[in-house]
Amino acid sequence: MKKIILSTLAGLALSSTAMADFPNKDIQGIIQWGAGGSTDTVMRSVSPHAEEILGTDIILTNRTGGVGAIATKYVNAKKADGYTLLMGAENPQMYKVLGLADIDYSDMIPVNVLARGIPMLVAQNDAPFNTMQEMIDYIKANPGSVKVGSTGQGGLASIVMAMIESEVKLDVTTIPYNGDGPALTALQGGAIDVMPAVLGAAVQHIKAGRMKAIALVDNQPSPVLPEVGIITEALPGLDKYLPYGPFFGVFVKQGTPDEAVAKLTDAFTKAAQAEDFQTLMNNRGYGIMNLSGQPAVDFLENYRSVSSWLVHDAGFSKRSPEEFGIPRP
Amino acid sequence: MEALNYFALSWLSPELLALTALGTFLGIYVGAIPGLSVTMAVSILISFTFSWDVNHALCLMVGIFMGGVYGGSRTAILLNIPGAPSAIATALDGYPLAKKGLAGEAIGLSTVMSVIGGFVGIFVLAIAAPTISEFAITFQPRDYLLLAILGLTLVGSLSSGSLAKGLFAGAMGVLVGTVGLDPLTAEERFTFGIIELWDGINVIAAMIGLFGVSEALHQLHHLDKAIIKQKISRIIPPWADVRRFLPLSIQSSFIGVIIGALPGTGGDIAALMAYDQAKRSTKKPEVPFGQGAKEGLIAPEAANNAAVGGAYIPMLTLGIPGDAVTAVFIGALFIHGLNPGPLLLIEQPHMFWFTVGNLTLANIFVLIFGLTGIRIFSKLVECPKGVLIPLILLLSVVGAYAINNSVVDVWWMLAFGVLGYFMRLYNYPIGPVILGVILSKLIDENWRRAILSERGDMGQFFANLFSSPLSSVLLAAIVFALFTQTPLWTRWLKPKLFSKV
Repeated sequence: MKKIILSTLAGLALSSTAMADFPNKDIQGIIQWGAGGSTDTVMRSVSPHAEEILGTDIILTNRTGGVGAIATKYVNAKKADGYTLLMGAENPQMYKVLGLADIDYSDMIPVNVLARGIPMLVAQNDAPFNTMQEMIDYIKANPGSVKVGSTGQGGLASIVMAMIESEVKLDVTTIPYNGDGPALTALQGGAIDVMPAVLGAAVQHIKAGRMKAIALVDNQPSPVLPEVGIITEALPGLDKYLPYGPFFGVFVKQGTPDEAVAKLTDAFTKAAQAEDFQTLMNNRGYGIMNLSGQPAVDFLENYRSVSSWLVHDAGFSKRSPEEFGIPRP
Repeated sequence: MEALNYFALSWLSPELLALTALGTFLGIYVGAIPGLSVTMAVSILISFTFSWDVNHALCLMVGIFMGGVYGGSRTAILLNIPGAPSAIATALDGYPLAKKGLAGEAIGLSTVMSVIGGFVGIFVLAIAAPTISEFAITFQPRDYLLLAILGLTLVGSLSSGSLAKGLFAGAMGVLVGTVGLDPLTAEERFTFGIIELWDGINVIAAMIGLFGVSEALHQLHHLDKAIIKQKISRIIPPWADVRRFLPLSIQSSFIGVIIGALPGTGGDIAALMAYDQAKRSTKKPEVPFGQGAKEGLIAPEAANNAAVGGAYIPMLTLGIPGDAVTAVFIGALFIHGLNPGPLLLIEQPHMFWFTVGNLTLANIFVLIFGLTGIRIFSKLVECPKGVLIPLILLLSVVGAYAINNSVVDVWWMLAFGVLGYFMRLYNYPIGPVILGVILSKLIDENWRRAILSERGDMGQFFANLFSSPLSSVLLAAIVFALFTQTPLWTRWLKPKLFSKV
């Protein structure tokens, strides 16, 4: 009974749009990653705003596993009615070439690409280099002596290193960790020397002087760390890959009615403009994107082709991007 | 003076006081139900308390954390189902006590010792946080490896009776722990192409099955046996008992703080290590370990609550989570517009003393809520078997499903239940299986990181093992743990060295 009243009210509120019957029940939000992770935090802080606009509850569930593939497949197996949202990170864009699953975001409709992380290289304070050029020179002079942290093949760190390797061959020792958090801890303890991480994860440690910034892997400096140089100063050839970075987005299954997609898009676009969400993203060092429609599709395509081909050229893809018709960047 | 103000903030505001109390109360029940974890409860609260003032939200979450870690012991003692992996060691001696009709006394004692452990943890956090966190991050992959190997020697302590059976169970646990995507290369191991196996076999599902379901199946043998009447006259432990066990609980608490402060290890390993330490250091327990020794109940309970304070140490000083729950807390602070990190204490100096004060308050509520309501809880064991067994099974299924909202975990839980039943039938210890699963990953990842850091050079690996003071100490501890089990020590050296004592 309460629901009927609620949906009637929601209907009245949206009476300017004809036939406002979406949403008339709770929406399920399926989060790809575990409780407390960055994807979880982003989704749990944007959802309350979208709920207000949609006039319905979004029930969030963490369905972890398989690098996000379990949640992706779960949403894809549901009805295409807009009542099941996939709340995910960048990982599905690599599923095909890494042989993890046969679907990615190109098989879904993006509701909103909310934000993007800016990758950067950080080094431990005792490392004998301060800039990208000095780092390259040092590694060339001392092959094998620099330990670089990673988050596994296909993870952000491996892709940043593959980008650099596409311009200059470097002999480093790679040590994998389960995520950039543990790797940055290891960096402070001296177990590794260099880590490609997202700005948001490293910024507080840099400001406190516990590690040093080498370069931003982006095509423009960041207002959060204005004094840090960008990687294209040392390696101009990387410009073709940028801007690049892990992202967070909300998706629905292909075939969802246009009306539902439009309402969801509208709700999340407004939700992403909420002041506290913006503050949160800025504090964590993420760039707000708030992309929907064609611009979102373009960003996702670029991300997929850059990562897929870098991974393929570096030799750790299971299948060639060509098989899936992924164009070279 | 200012510190004292912040310390007392949550004590003096009626709202904050009430929220802390509510959190602690809820935490005890969340912790007691296997499968419902503190991590899960705290992260759900993040979206629930999204629009609240940060202090209000933190009070509720701190309460849940403190209460939840303690709550895991309830079902461990009463039903032999640990509410969380950190209460596994508690079940080893707690459940035998309940079987003797001493559940009330066991819960009372575990409550008091948990609270003492909690206070030691908070005290260390308050006075030594910066020093300990700097120490904790110097642990290299090879040190974690040594710590995990030291953990494996606990198999001996956890298997009463045949060591061979204990080793078998431990090795099986290690094997179970290797299932899933390789943590470093994402290569599939023992997954048979099944996507649900990528993340391996969930340790909590295995735990619920091995302890809960197998216990229920086992009790079917004794359906007609008379129910043990619980003595509920003595609940608050006598002062003499508290004083007698105080040194042990403080010693266990220090183990808890240090293991808790290490990023990557938490209350589960701390509790098991404290249990082992208690078993080694207790010369003459009144009752043998594994049959209801109070020492075996006290040590893990003090340690896992002390690990709470420990986990906060790197989080508050460096923005590095000490365990899974503090990782969620970091997310919560972000959402509330704070910047958890090494600058937190400079930008928000009040956060430190506010948290310390709030943890102290939550710990006091654990004592209050822990000691009240024991009478009703103890009656649970007196339930007719026909009611109790279905209840255990129901709780196990709900708990296993709740871990990941996945039916797959329920199947695993049931399979491990049947396995656990047969293990009990043939007197195989169950504890080592869970220990193996927990340590398997730690050993696997850190051994490979350690050897990758040396570019595969074993000589260099051993050279660093002996040149680093920390590694040498850990290595010495392993050698000592193994050496004291050899006939050379037990028959010849020990009597010689300690004969006059």
